[in-house]
Amino acid sequence: MPASTAPESGEVSDSDLVKRCQAGDTRAFDVLVNRYRGKVYAMTYHMIQNETEAWDLAQEAFIKAWRAMPNFKLDSAFYTWLYRITHNVTYDWLRKKKIQGDGEFDDSHTDHRVAAGAEAVARHEPAPDTALKNAELGARIHEAIAKLSPDHKQVILLREVEGMAYEEIAEIIPCTLGTVMSRLFYARKKLQEMLKDTYENAL
Amino acid sequence: MKTPSEDHDLIRFLDGEMSDAERASFEARMAADPMLNSEVTMMQRMSADLRTHLPAEMPVPYADFFNSQIQVRIAQEEPVTLPAARSSWLDWLRIPTLITAAAAVAIGGFMILQKQNQPANNSVVHSIYVPNPAVQARSFHSAEAQATVLILDGVEAMPADRKIVGFHVERTESDQEVATTTLFGESGQILAVVAKDARNQPRLLSANPRG
Repeated sequence: MPASTAPESGEVSDSDLVKRCQAGDTRAFDVLVNRYRGKVYAMTYHMIQNETEAWDLAQEAFIKAWRAMPNFKLDSAFYTWLYRITHNVTYDWLRKKKIQGDGEFDDSHTDHRVAAGAEAVARHEPAPDTALKNAELGARIHEAIAKLSPDHKQVILLREVEGMAYEEIAEIIPCTLGTVMSRLFYARKKLQEMLKDTYENAL
Repeated sequence: MKTPSEDHDLIRFLDGEMSDAERASFEARMAADPMLNSEVTMMQRMSADLRTHLPAEMPVPYADFFNSQIQVRIAQEEPVTLPAARSSWLDWLRIPTLITAAAAVAIGGFMILQKQNQPANNSVVHSIYVPNPAVQARSFHSAEAQATVLILDGVEAMPADRKIVGFHVERTESDQEVATTTLFGESGQILAVVAKDARNQPRLLSANPRG
């Protein structure tokens, strides 16, 4: 699957590391953390768009993965399994936030920054028009993603960012293939609506 | 008005989830329907922009600290399992608070031994790791005893019928491949095996001072 990080030649495979973890080898787990922390953190960051909370949630996902490791039967890719845990951790967090009345889509948690790793232009530096437009588009995309419901956000991220197949998304969420397609459709329509002027002007 | 099936067709086309025949059929529909064609074009551009601006992998701030915190929490949760008691000197380790002390002693010893391989008259303790923050550890070299003394404050009183036995380590061997250090006694018997975890803290894997 496109999203999984297959170990490079010479590296220990995920399944071997999982077996070592199941035997209590914490160093093997550290290798898995190194291998997937960037992806897990990106997922939590895109979901909640707050660096500190995303960092904590990513860590929580790994801790839960360690606790659940004895029950992992290796019947799916480690990465898919880890993502399911990350998904649950993030959802629990969003649910708690909603219960606490913070507002599910509170803009105070959305700093509208262009994420690390994305193309960005420093605010005080003179920038060419194209770079500036690119940075503005990045900010608008982040803003639009933040306004999606968690369900829609999740499918968009799993499909567009992680490049997962429908079956994998259905396994992670979990839901039917029809639900995946419906959510993808409505998520894209909502994004399209929010970014309408950007694309209408460009077309 | 479009049916759900048509919506799914659009999504499946965008995501490359159609068979060749389905794709050809959908492209024929696009050619006949400028609005559908325009919608597909817009969604394709949007998908490309999403992928550009939402990276699948991001550098984790303070990545080393991220890992070490995970290891610390795992270590805190890990149940301590010891071999079945066989009237060995490790019997008293069944008392949880004393495990801390034992670990500190062993680990302190490990730190000392790291330096014993060096040509120095006195051993030097560079650091002591005490898992229980309530326990304070310090050390000094006793010229009189010709030994390094470890003092642990905050440990509960040990049962009177238990004895703490020191042991002499003749040499150590480090295995870089599995990142462990084995401690050998005077007659070459294995006394203990110590490893360092991901946060570079020592961890006693096994101990058998009687060989």
